[in-house]
Amino acid sequence: MRCLLVGCEVLLRELADAIARSPHTIDVEFLPKGLHDLGGARMRPALQAAVDHADPACHEAVLMGYALCGNGLHGLEARRVTLVAPRAHDCIALLMGSRQRYDAYFHSHEGVYFRSTGWLERGRDIEQLARDAGTDFTLADLIAKYGEDNGRYLYDELRRYERSYRQLTFIETGLESDNRFEQQARAEAAEKNWHFEKIRGDLSLFRKLVGGEWDPADFLVVEPGGRIVASYDEGIIKAERIGCEEETHVRRD
Amino acid sequence: MVDLQELHEAILNGDAKAAAAVTRAALAQNVPALDLIQQAMVPAMDEVGRRFECQDYFVPELLLSARAMKAALEPLRPLLAASGAQPAGTVVIGTVKGDLHDIGKNLVAALLEGGGFEVIDLGVDVAPEKFVETVQQTNANIVCLSALLTVTMLSMKAVIEGLRAAGLREYVTVLVGGAPVTRQFAEEIGADGYGENASAAVALARSCAKSAAVG
Repeated sequence: MRCLLVGCEVLLRELADAIARSPHTIDVEFLPKGLHDLGGARMRPALQAAVDHADPACHEAVLMGYALCGNGLHGLEARRVTLVAPRAHDCIALLMGSRQRYDAYFHSHEGVYFRSTGWLERGRDIEQLARDAGTDFTLADLIAKYGEDNGRYLYDELRRYERSYRQLTFIETGLESDNRFEQQARAEAAEKNWHFEKIRGDLSLFRKLVGGEWDPADFLVVEPGGRIVASYDEGIIKAERIGCEEETHVRRD
Repeated sequence: MVDLQELHEAILNGDAKAAAAVTRAALAQNVPALDLIQQAMVPAMDEVGRRFECQDYFVPELLLSARAMKAALEPLRPLLAASGAQPAGTVVIGTVKGDLHDIGKNLVAALLEGGGFEVIDLGVDVAPEKFVETVQQTNANIVCLSALLTVTMLSMKAVIEGLRAAGLREYVTVLVGGAPVTRQFAEEIGADGYGENASAAVALARSCAKSAAVG
C-alpha cells in the first residue's frame, strides 16, 4: 500500500528508520518543530494542510508522526483519506515505545526534561512562549527590547520554570551516529545542575505506524468523514464524525 | 494634582517605578485608594487585556503591566486593609500535580490581584490535597487550576473530586485554564468555567464573584 506520512522533524531519524523498514511505499512530509511551540490551536491548521495533500487516488492512509502534542491533533480531520495516529500524549511516549511506560516514568520522576537526537539537533529547546518575546530569547534580546530593568525581570519570569526541573533524561534510540548527543545532553544537565539519566528508547511504535500494524490499543484509525479529538482517558484520542459537534471551535463567553 | 491618567499610562507601558511613584504622590494628596484602583488600575488592566486579545500585546507586555500594577498596589494594601474593604473574592490558584509550568498561572494570579481579588498562589506541581486543604483553611470561593501538558490535565479532575469528597464543592467555583485545556474538557471534569487566556480568566472570575454575590 501507499501512504502519506506527515511527521514532526523532531522524529526525523526515528521515522526515517521506520520508513526504510516498511514494506509499504511511504511519501513523506516533515513539518518544522516550531509548530509545537505555537500551541495546539495554531498547530492544527498547519497539520491539516499537510494531511490534505494526501491523494485518495493513491494514498490508502495518512500516517501521523505525531502524538496529541498539546492538543495539536485535536480536531484534525480525515477529509478524504483515512487518518492513523498513535495514542500518545507527546513524542516522549513515542520515543519510549509506549504511553504506559512514559506515564509510569513521568509520574515517578519529578521535574524531568527529556532529550533525544531530534530535540538536540533540530533547533532550540522549547522555551515557554519564547515566540511571544519576538526574539530567540536571550537576556540581551530582552534588555534591548524592554530596557535593563524590565528585560531582566522578564528573563527571570520566563525562565523561572526551569528552576523547578531537576533531571534531564536522554532517550537513546540506537540511531545516534556517535555519542555527541549524549555528551551534549550531559553537558546541558551539568550546566543546569540537573541529574542526568540515559534510558533506552524503543522504536516499535514508529515501526508499527509506518509498517501498517495499527493495533487499536496503540493507534487510532479515523475513516474519511471523521476527525481526531482528545478523549481525556487512557485511550488519549478518539474519533468523532465531522460536523456532529463543533466542540473544537473555541467559544468565548 | 496628580493625574490618574499617568498611573493608567504607567501600567499600560509596564513602568513599575512610575506606577509606584504616581500612586505614592496621589496618596500624599489624599486621593482615596479605591479611586486609584477603580479609576486607573482596573481600567488600565482591562485595556491591557483588550490589547492582548487583539495581539497588540503579548505575554511579555502582560507580565510587565502586571508588574507595574502590583507596584502601584503595594502602597495601597495597608490602606485597604485598614479601611476594611472586602476583596472581590478569594482565589486559590496553582499549577496541578506533575506540571511545572508557571507563566500562565502567574499571569492569571497577577491579573486577578489587579482585579481586586485576594490571591493565594500555591505555586506549581500542587497536589489535589493541597488545594482542598487550602480551601478548607481559608475563605476561598474560587479555585483556579492551570496545566500546560495533556498528561497532567487530568489532575484537575482529581482536585474537583477532592473538593467534592471534602464537602466543599458547592462552596467554591472551579475555573480551569492552560494551553491544552478546552471548554469541552472543563465540562467533562465538572469545572465551572474555562478561560482561554489570562484576561478571559479575570472576566470569568469577576462574573462568578458577581453571580455569587447575587445568589
